[in-house]
Amino acid sequence: MPTFPQGTLDLMVLRTLSLGPRHGYGIARWIEQTTDDALAVEEGALYPALHRLQRRGWIKARWARSELKKDIKLYELTAAGRAELRRRTADWTALAAAMGKVLKARP
Amino acid sequence: MARRDRVPPAGDEEIDFHVEMQTKRYIAEGMSPVAARAKALRRLGDLDPARLASRAIALEMETAMLRSARWSSLMQDTRFAARVLRGSPLFTLTALITLAIGIGAAAAIFAVVNAVMLRDLPYPHASRTMMIWNSYQQEGLEHAAVAPEEFADLTARVQAFDRLAALRPQVTTLTGACSTGADCEPERLNAYVVSPGLFDLLGVGPALGRTFTEADGVSGAPRVVMLTDGLWRRRFGGDPAIIGRAITLGGVTREVIGVMSAGIRFPDEPIGYLKQRPDAWIPVNWEAVRDGRGNQYLEVLARLRPDAGPSAAQANLDAIAEDFRTRFPDRYAPPTVQWRLATLPLRDEMFGDVRPALLLLFGAVGCVLLIACANVANLTVARGTTRRRELAVRAALGAGRGRLVQQLMIETVLLTAAGALLGLGVAELALRSAVALNPGNVPGLDQARVDVFVILFAAGLALLSGVLVGLPPALGQSHADPQPGLADGARGVGTSVARQRVRGSLVVAEVALAVIVLVGAGLLVRSFVAMARVDTGFDASSTMTAHLTLPRASYTPGARAVAFHQALIERLSALPGVARASGVYPLPMSDDSWSGTIVIEGRDQTPGLPPAHAEYAVAYPGYFGTMGIRLVEGREFGPEDAAGSQLAGIVDTEFVRTYWPGESGLGKRISTFGNASTGPWTTIVGVVEHVRNRGARAAGEPQFYFSALQKPEYGMTFVVRANVDPASLAPAIRTAVRELDPALPIASLVPMDAVVARFTARERFNVVLFTVFGLVALALAGVGLYGVLASLVSQRTREIGIRLALGGRPAHLVRRVMSEGLVLAAIGLTLGIAAAAALSRFIATLLFAIEPLDPLTYAAIAVLVLAVSLAASYWPARRATLVDPVTVLRGL
Repeated sequence: MPTFPQGTLDLMVLRTLSLGPRHGYGIARWIEQTTDDALAVEEGALYPALHRLQRRGWIKARWARSELKKDIKLYELTAAGRAELRRRTADWTALAAAMGKVLKARP
Repeated sequence: MARRDRVPPAGDEEIDFHVEMQTKRYIAEGMSPVAARAKALRRLGDLDPARLASRAIALEMETAMLRSARWSSLMQDTRFAARVLRGSPLFTLTALITLAIGIGAAAAIFAVVNAVMLRDLPYPHASRTMMIWNSYQQEGLEHAAVAPEEFADLTARVQAFDRLAALRPQVTTLTGACSTGADCEPERLNAYVVSPGLFDLLGVGPALGRTFTEADGVSGAPRVVMLTDGLWRRRFGGDPAIIGRAITLGGVTREVIGVMSAGIRFPDEPIGYLKQRPDAWIPVNWEAVRDGRGNQYLEVLARLRPDAGPSAAQANLDAIAEDFRTRFPDRYAPPTVQWRLATLPLRDEMFGDVRPALLLLFGAVGCVLLIACANVANLTVARGTTRRRELAVRAALGAGRGRLVQQLMIETVLLTAAGALLGLGVAELALRSAVALNPGNVPGLDQARVDVFVILFAAGLALLSGVLVGLPPALGQSHADPQPGLADGARGVGTSVARQRVRGSLVVAEVALAVIVLVGAGLLVRSFVAMARVDTGFDASSTMTAHLTLPRASYTPGARAVAFHQALIERLSALPGVARASGVYPLPMSDDSWSGTIVIEGRDQTPGLPPAHAEYAVAYPGYFGTMGIRLVEGREFGPEDAAGSQLAGIVDTEFVRTYWPGESGLGKRISTFGNASTGPWTTIVGVVEHVRNRGARAAGEPQFYFSALQKPEYGMTFVVRANVDPASLAPAIRTAVRELDPALPIASLVPMDAVVARFTARERFNVVLFTVFGLVALALAGVGLYGVLASLVSQRTREIGIRLALGGRPAHLVRRVMSEGLVLAAIGLTLGIAAAAALSRFIATLLFAIEPLDPLTYAAIAVLVLAVSLAASYWPARRATLVDPVTVLRGL
């Protein structure tokens, strides 16, 4: 499975949470399923990323009862996070288009 | 229900959960549980650095989350508490009223203390401003005024002060000039003649124009005046063009050079004998006025140098005093006068003598508040009995002890906060009635209002009383083991013994506190009565007084003033309802009083003995009869004691006793203000009863009177003895004056008993407040006692019913219940009396002719408290006998 560049995980987490609150495992599974398991989300990267995003105020957490009848943190997007997602999506789309042009260009 | 009040180990739980979910997924995909778990863990890799890194962040987040969880539980509990309080309106209302009274009274007194004792004086240099007095400890005159010569010496010699100023009052009449033609009535003004540097000394400046400069005080300089903001607005419509205009004061034309900033009317509070706030100031350089050392009429202000403290100032003054003694041994050195120069901060002079009374009132009001808190705590404990089921249910449903305590505390704080809010209303009302009660001689009282400090104070009290009221019962109740609480239900006896003990001690404390306040009130009432009984030497009933000052400009020479006065007295005597009329100045117990040194014929002025000194006044014929001052010997002034004939004088019994002991005063001769014993001599024609000019507290000096016919005075107070209500004579007196001189303002028209009442106003103020607080305290304590016994009876209904069924006699039952109440009251009474006796020395300075341990007061209060306790115990006891044994037995 390919890994992905630094910074793209944050963007994927924000995107995932823009669809509704999820716990950490849920976020990882959603990304893996959506990419047809093409991308593996490593726990060692995911949880620090969640804390990082939280500290910047883009996501927030609350306790809820999980499907295993345990207390688990649910993450959700804040208004600031939504704005950040919009900005980064635009950046990423522009970058991907530019990359595509470069890679497909003929001499 | 989610548990929100627990911090899980940061991140770990979340990751365990992750592993568990991952394992499940692999199992679902067909792996064996062991392999699935191994793979999930492998995937996880080495998480430790990540965990460490995230732990700090996580902790921070958890704290924030927890805080918001606490907040939401707080809001939830607050809403619940409000619902609970609304659900038991009788309890809530009783508690609210009690707290509103307690907190309101405390806030009102705090507002007064704040206005009088804590408020900054409105002068930038107030903290360095001192006053300097002649102090004659021997005569109890610690704050005597200063003579101009003395002021000149002080000005030349002080080192610890960088500025000195002196002032004296001058009552005058403003005529002519005003903004609107309609308001041009002549107006009596309180002016002060001040050193030009007074305002610089205080650090205050004009709103308009300028203040005085040294050149303004010099004799021969253009005559100028400064107006107060009030006079400027009232009389001149706030016209800025007033600067430079000429106005006429007492017949003298003066140019207005400035208007003082609003809010400055120095002296704003009484200092020394200066009682009135001014309307205008006139400059004089007092140090250049040389009229001897005998006539001490200046109040002296002095500003400390920034590097000098009060003790350096006193040392400086002591050195100057030593010099005075060397130069004028006759006047200052005699050990019998114990003269010295004294200095004290201006602030202490303005507010010092109300401090003890205010602190005592503050203490009294603190007792009332404590009683109120005890009462509400009592109610809360009583309610605890009925709420046990509810609390047990909540505990059974999983509410922790902390949460229950929080819930109960929120309830009481909500209650006390609402009580404080109502209390502020009570305080506002109380302040208004206090101001109405006070005819202006508790300094600063009119400044007392519910301001931000008072609101903060009330908020603090709400919190404090919330804790006082709530914590003990809250801790007691939250113990509640759900089991018995649920099991014994509404009948609950449970821990009622412990609860009764708590309530009993609360009642004991309430009674004791009430006794303390009541003893204070009793002592003050007794001393007030004692003061009223003191013979003042005159009869104030049915007497009206009218003061007016004739303008010098139109009544010179003095004989014209005398003619006017005589004509007015004649008219006043002829008014319907008037028995007699006459005139005097200064009026007894008025703001003014005259005293000075005198020479007594044939009495050697031995060096080393203080010169003879006496109070004096001028009086018209018939004055003593009109005022009801008893003539002891000789005769009153008559028409024969007029200008041109031999100077006639009348002395009082105190004068004769002091200067001619064992002899008759008649035919003796005295001289005033003379340096040599050459006269002109005044011959004594009569002796009258001594008049207490300074009220009951001070016996006063010897007194003598001149015939007003022979010593013309422009200011005169007319006294009228009426057959009718004296106040009803006011319109007729006004008309009589207007008929003689339409341009003359009447300065005051006051019944004599109101003049006397002003002298005891401060005492009356203390008495009324203390008595009100005492009665409130007693009522609250009585209610508390009643409440405890009533709930005792209702809890023992079963026991009582069985006793009655078994043949117990109702009378016996009444005795049993009542004796429980009386035991509590007696313990409280004993403790209260002991505490009151220990505290009573603090009230000693306010008492007159009553000992702080006055047995009658203590006995009376004991009887009163026992009587109230009897009444409070009787009704619950009666109710006990009405228990129907049949109903009770059926209920078993």
